[in-house]
Amino acid sequence: MMPIWTKSGEKHAVTLLKVQDCHVLRYVSKEESGGKTAKLLVGGKNASPFSKPESAHEIFREAGVPRKQKVTTFNVTDDAIIKPGTPLYAAHFRPGQFVDVTAKTIGKGFQGVVKRWGFKGQPASHGQTKTHRRPGAISTNQAAKVYRGKKMPGKMGNIYRTSFGLKVWRINTKHDIIYVNGSVPGHTNCLVKVRDSKLPTYKDCNKNPPFPTFFADGDEELPEDLFDEEIFQFTDPSVTFA
Amino acid sequence: CRVSSDGKPPKFQPPPKPVIIDRKTKKEESRFLSPEFIPPRGRKDPLKYYIERKDMIQRRKVFNIPEFYVGSILAVTTANPLASDKSSRFVGICIQRGGTGLGATFVLRNVIEDQGVEICYELYSPRIQAIEVLKLEKRLDENLMYLRDALPEYSTVDVNMKPVPRMDHEEIPVNKVQVRMKPKPWSKRWERPKYNIKGIKFELPEHKMQAAQKWSQPWLEFDMLREYDTSKIEEKIRKELSEELEK
Repeated sequence: MMPIWTKSGEKHAVTLLKVQDCHVLRYVSKEESGGKTAKLLVGGKNASPFSKPESAHEIFREAGVPRKQKVTTFNVTDDAIIKPGTPLYAAHFRPGQFVDVTAKTIGKGFQGVVKRWGFKGQPASHGQTKTHRRPGAISTNQAAKVYRGKKMPGKMGNIYRTSFGLKVWRINTKHDIIYVNGSVPGHTNCLVKVRDSKLPTYKDCNKNPPFPTFFADGDEELPEDLFDEEIFQFTDPSVTFA
Repeated sequence: CRVSSDGKPPKFQPPPKPVIIDRKTKKEESRFLSPEFIPPRGRKDPLKYYIERKDMIQRRKVFNIPEFYVGSILAVTTANPLASDKSSRFVGICIQRGGTGLGATFVLRNVIEDQGVEICYELYSPRIQAIEVLKLEKRLDENLMYLRDALPEYSTVDVNMKPVPRMDHEEIPVNKVQVRMKPKPWSKRWERPKYNIKGIKFELPEHKMQAAQKWSQPWLEFDMLREYDTSKIEEKIRKELSEELEK
């Protein structure tokens, strides 16, 4: 995470996400998958082919791509279908866009009710016998049962969670890095899924995104760094208020 | 004994001259490398630090961040939308330098009209318009937070102080002042060995100083897992910096 300053002098914290060897693996049509839209399987981050059985390598062999550590699905409309085997780059996103980031949260192991659900526990003194971080009562008398989904101790973390509506401040095309506002679930160097935001406020935010994606062998020559308009560039002199 | 072909005794070969490696003369002076360039130990990708350093160098090309240490007296002018001149100037002693990369900070302390004031500035913030070093010196400690519990005369710096002239080749002077403290209680127990403070004149009774030594952890200096040798990293970064700044 890094600080970033706007032209008016405000500071924002920014997370760096690296797009490492992302390739489109397979196209699944609407009828095949049984969903409402077609799906594209995308894999990211090359991994060793020796730790998985041969049956798992089929998808990668068809696409002509080394084995990927993670395979995710993206729901796409029919006009955004990409041929399997095309690499995906950070330039797919543009500064000023809004993005949802999904990742597995940091695993905390088996945790008690105070840390996991934020229960208040019991006082430290004034006669409490061996009861300081316990859940207390778990149901009422009339219910005569414990409801499903009752908050109790258990394994915490290591589940997929999404941060919605994160602004993209800057893109580095040379190293394929996306600078995303705020924090993102997951530990350092964990695998992360970045999608265009589904929030209704940011529905019309994309002015001219590269559609269906940014192709590296195309004619477009992008500069090494793409900045949002509000970012303070370090080549400018210091901010002064008029 | 070698027999020469001529029958004369073999020519005298003098022994080879001893090679003297002179280690006592000082090596080339170690140039100053700002502490925020050194990446901390961790699992982060070094690419992130490389990119951050590029941004830092960009900023340094446009705006001059001078060399300074904890204990030097600085004057900082920042852009302030609420001030009448739209800029405000603060003079103080640097008590702490923290953070790495673009978020590096330094705290300046001064006593203005009997009120101690500490301001934490970010080195790379675009609102800073000028940083001047009025007096460049080092102190015995790297963290002068104990000045909060010291007598206010040690933290007062004249706001209209003129910069002290200094030659480039002189070594940075170390101010070995022993600071006198206000009566206890202090904000932290500075006599304890974990802070390892050398710049305070402790006027506590002997038994209190001995009792404080109970919290000493003499094994820490031999702990090999805590060692972080930055010499090679520093060399690489110094080379990178000098190349980029010459461009």
